[in-house]
Amino acid sequence: MIDIVVQALVNGLVSGTLLAVPAIGFTAMFAVLRFPNFAVSGIATLGAFAGYLAYGAGLQMAGSLVVAFVVAGAAGLLFDEVAHLPMVKQGALPAAIASIASGLVLENLVRLGFGNDPRGYDRPIARDIRLGDIRVSPQQLETMGLALALMLAVFAILAFTRIGKAMRASADNPDLASLKGIRPERIAMIASFAGMGLVGVGGMLLGLDSAIDPLTGTRILLSIFAAAVLGGLGSVPGAVLGAFLIGMAEELSVLAVGSQYRAAVGFVAILAMLTLRPRGLLGERAY
Amino acid sequence: MPSYLLFIATIGGIYGLLALSLNLIWGGAGMVNLGLAGFFAVGAYASGLLTTAGQVPIVAGWMAALVAGGFAGLIVTLSTTRLRQDYLAIVTLGFAEVVRLVAANEIWLTRGTDGISGIPGPWKSALGQNFNSVYFLIVVAALVVVFLVVRRIDRSPYGRALRAIREDAQVAQVAGKPVLRFKTEAFTLSAAIAGLAGALYGHFTSYIAPDLFLPLITVYIFLAVASGGTGRPAGALLGAYLVMTLLESSRFFVEWIPGTTAVQRAALKELLIAVALILVLRLKPSGVLPERIPPAPRPATGASS
Amino acid sequence: MTKTFRIGRRAALAGGVAALASPAVVRAQADPIKLATLTPLTGAGGPYGPVMAKAAASVVEEVNKAGGVNGRRVVLVSEDDQTNPEAGVRAARKLIDVDKVSAIMGTWASSVTTAVAPLCWESKTFLCTVSGADSITLLPHQGYLVRTQPNSKLQVMRVGEFMLSLGVKKVFTMIPQTPFTQSTFDTLNAVLPKGGATHQSLIYDDKKTTYRTEVDQALRASPDLLLAGGYTPDSVVLLKDLYRAGFKGKVVGFAYSINQKLVDQVGQNEIVEGVYTFAPSSAEGSTAYDKVKAAVGSANPDPYTCQVYDHASMVLMAMAIAKDSSGTAIKDNIRKVTQGGGKTVDNAVDGIKAIAAGEKIDYTGASGPCDFDEKGDILDCKFRYEQIKAGKFTVVKIA
Repeated sequence: MIDIVVQALVNGLVSGTLLAVPAIGFTAMFAVLRFPNFAVSGIATLGAFAGYLAYGAGLQMAGSLVVAFVVAGAAGLLFDEVAHLPMVKQGALPAAIASIASGLVLENLVRLGFGNDPRGYDRPIARDIRLGDIRVSPQQLETMGLALALMLAVFAILAFTRIGKAMRASADNPDLASLKGIRPERIAMIASFAGMGLVGVGGMLLGLDSAIDPLTGTRILLSIFAAAVLGGLGSVPGAVLGAFLIGMAEELSVLAVGSQYRAAVGFVAILAMLTLRPRGLLGERAY
Repeated sequence: MPSYLLFIATIGGIYGLLALSLNLIWGGAGMVNLGLAGFFAVGAYASGLLTTAGQVPIVAGWMAALVAGGFAGLIVTLSTTRLRQDYLAIVTLGFAEVVRLVAANEIWLTRGTDGISGIPGPWKSALGQNFNSVYFLIVVAALVVVFLVVRRIDRSPYGRALRAIREDAQVAQVAGKPVLRFKTEAFTLSAAIAGLAGALYGHFTSYIAPDLFLPLITVYIFLAVASGGTGRPAGALLGAYLVMTLLESSRFFVEWIPGTTAVQRAALKELLIAVALILVLRLKPSGVLPERIPPAPRPATGASS
Repeated sequence: MTKTFRIGRRAALAGGVAALASPAVVRAQADPIKLATLTPLTGAGGPYGPVMAKAAASVVEEVNKAGGVNGRRVVLVSEDDQTNPEAGVRAARKLIDVDKVSAIMGTWASSVTTAVAPLCWESKTFLCTVSGADSITLLPHQGYLVRTQPNSKLQVMRVGEFMLSLGVKKVFTMIPQTPFTQSTFDTLNAVLPKGGATHQSLIYDDKKTTYRTEVDQALRASPDLLLAGGYTPDSVVLLKDLYRAGFKGKVVGFAYSINQKLVDQVGQNEIVEGVYTFAPSSAEGSTAYDKVKAAVGSANPDPYTCQVYDHASMVLMAMAIAKDSSGTAIKDNIRKVTQGGGKTVDNAVDGIKAIAAGEKIDYTGASGPCDFDEKGDILDCKFRYEQIKAGKFTVVKIA
């Protein structure tokens, strides 16, 4: 029994790493823009399809990820500028509701172009490597490596670059930040672009090993939210921690209550967290 | 054609109940419920199960749906009323998903994805062809009752307190309003109305299944409330029929777009709804019937009326 | 509706003197007969519905070219049920009340069929379905329903017998929650022990993007055969994860999910090498089947497509026999078309001609013999077993 639990934890670690990428994007946008952007569902799908087209057109993996990032980021920025941000002034809720509609728009645009059939990246699949009783897939290691590299890059940018510092300052205290000459509109645009870019890349990474269709993003929406809420909405390290926990909890739930209730794990985690420690494990700080 | 219109009008009335439910908390207290479809389902299942497996009278089933919906609402708000509204949005979204999972998997109770068929309609066999007309009147009656209740709340001191919470919960708190209790009560009542709508739906179509309660219904209702005018029950009701009209008429006109496959036409329809919601929120946030804030009663001072 | 009116007027003008003599009769003849498909164009059934609608349209087109039915043109209305009973009910209402169709064909998801069926029998509209859930033909449909899909119990019984014929001892079923999940378990638990095999099972969430943990759980039982009971998207993921885990046993799946699309999506032949598929057999090699191939432009149309082709053909021929196009006429006459001996026909055009010539006919369609019992279930159905070899489906047997 122990070996299957360990194996489940390893599987959860892998899926948690992939989940962390869109979760970082979501939580970073929340930190700066102050509304939960439900359009992540549609953007993740869009990113997955953009990467799919790029990969099919002969680009390497890294190049395809860049395409996914840029397309998703640009779409995210467009929707934020046109549909969400003008409404934030009236409060977070109208913007959140508009973002649900935006997600639906993107999902159906993808459906218009590609239909409902699932598609797979044309990527060779290898047998797993066995380390004792535990097995891991070489490709998942590769995808996991890409996700980890991306996360490190995000942390480095937030910690060391001028833009990163400005974003943190703006998230912590927008008024103070603008006094210091940081232009909030600009920070908002960067957050929209980079945050949704990460969500798009996340959609592609999660689709790499399985298949993608217009509902790809919708399926992971609740897990992304759960990861962000668990770590504390707006906290980037929190989102990473939350994603690992959700990833592992989802796999363990398969052993405990059966796979059919996996989607409920995120909900239960959110509810428990909000009841016991509403600010999340690491608190609502951007960094 | 008339019976088709009657059918649409009845479903529109049920959407109207959902819109009133959402308007009570969104327009009233500035709370949001992205799990409307979940509460709709809870009510539908409560009544559907009790009247088929449980053999209770239909009216008792409807009462049970009210209670079950309200109870689910109470549970969901208890953990989130203290928090920012964005959390409630996320929790309710998850709630609807979990309701669907339970309905699909707990076969001993809900008959799983088979769904529950043969839900009795009131006097159905006696009415025959007239059932749809009578049922439409029942839905209208339910609408009127709920409408009067929510309008009464809207115009009462209680409603003003809710609106104060919507505008600024902290100020309301300072002003001595029991914000937490008010929010919980409003949400519970709203969820109960959604539950009743679910029961009315189940007894009308005679069939419910997990697939009926997809999140898309929630989007329809948000469009209804936003377009009709948040904060005004009549607006919500009008909005529900606007959405129903849009949904059904789009069925007719997408057929005329040349060179599209059926999948594309279906995608266009959903696209249309989503774009409409964004446009309404962006361009006409107050809706067709904007909110009227009734003036607070002033002490009569003789001259002024 | 404008369209109907225009055609009506044109026909009336062309009719000239005859129109003046008996306008009512001519108007009736000019009014087209209306039929509908209600298939999933979006949602889980999205991959199947569009082709199904196309197959029905091809039958209608051919019949119209040959002069229609009872001297009237046939119009096919296609609606989307979104694989969702609520949308299905609304669409069916529109078809019944606005279009006034005599028959609705092709409902796919069992939940949609169960929801739509009461509307049909209450309005005396005939319903042809491809849904397999056992409960459907047990509804009080008063004869207004037939299905061309064998019910799930019969299907699973045959698949169980097939597994035993492969000489396996330990069977494991991985399946999402569907209307036939429980019936699959019950049937296999009854059939397999009779042949000396054990059966274990696991229900999975069909929305997941990886099934590593589920596969681990299944493989702990060290099965020598795994039944993959899902739909195409989740089966793609499942088969990849089985391959990664190094599963060496046999895999059996339903052909509606393990199809050419799945092989293309997996994109790597060794992953699906040796996988067995199982389906109610289409009448492959028959001319009806060839017609479906040509109509939908596919080398191996799925069984649903074949079944909807048969729905349209049977309904039109039943109208021809009845010399009436109402739903009740279809109900009362459909078995005169499909069974009881007579000249074997495999398409509606020939059938209608034979009927006009006063011959007795027995339709054998693209999906099979199409004979129904009094509940609307098909009486006899051949099953087709295939195996994937080097990315191609090769027939093991049809029995």
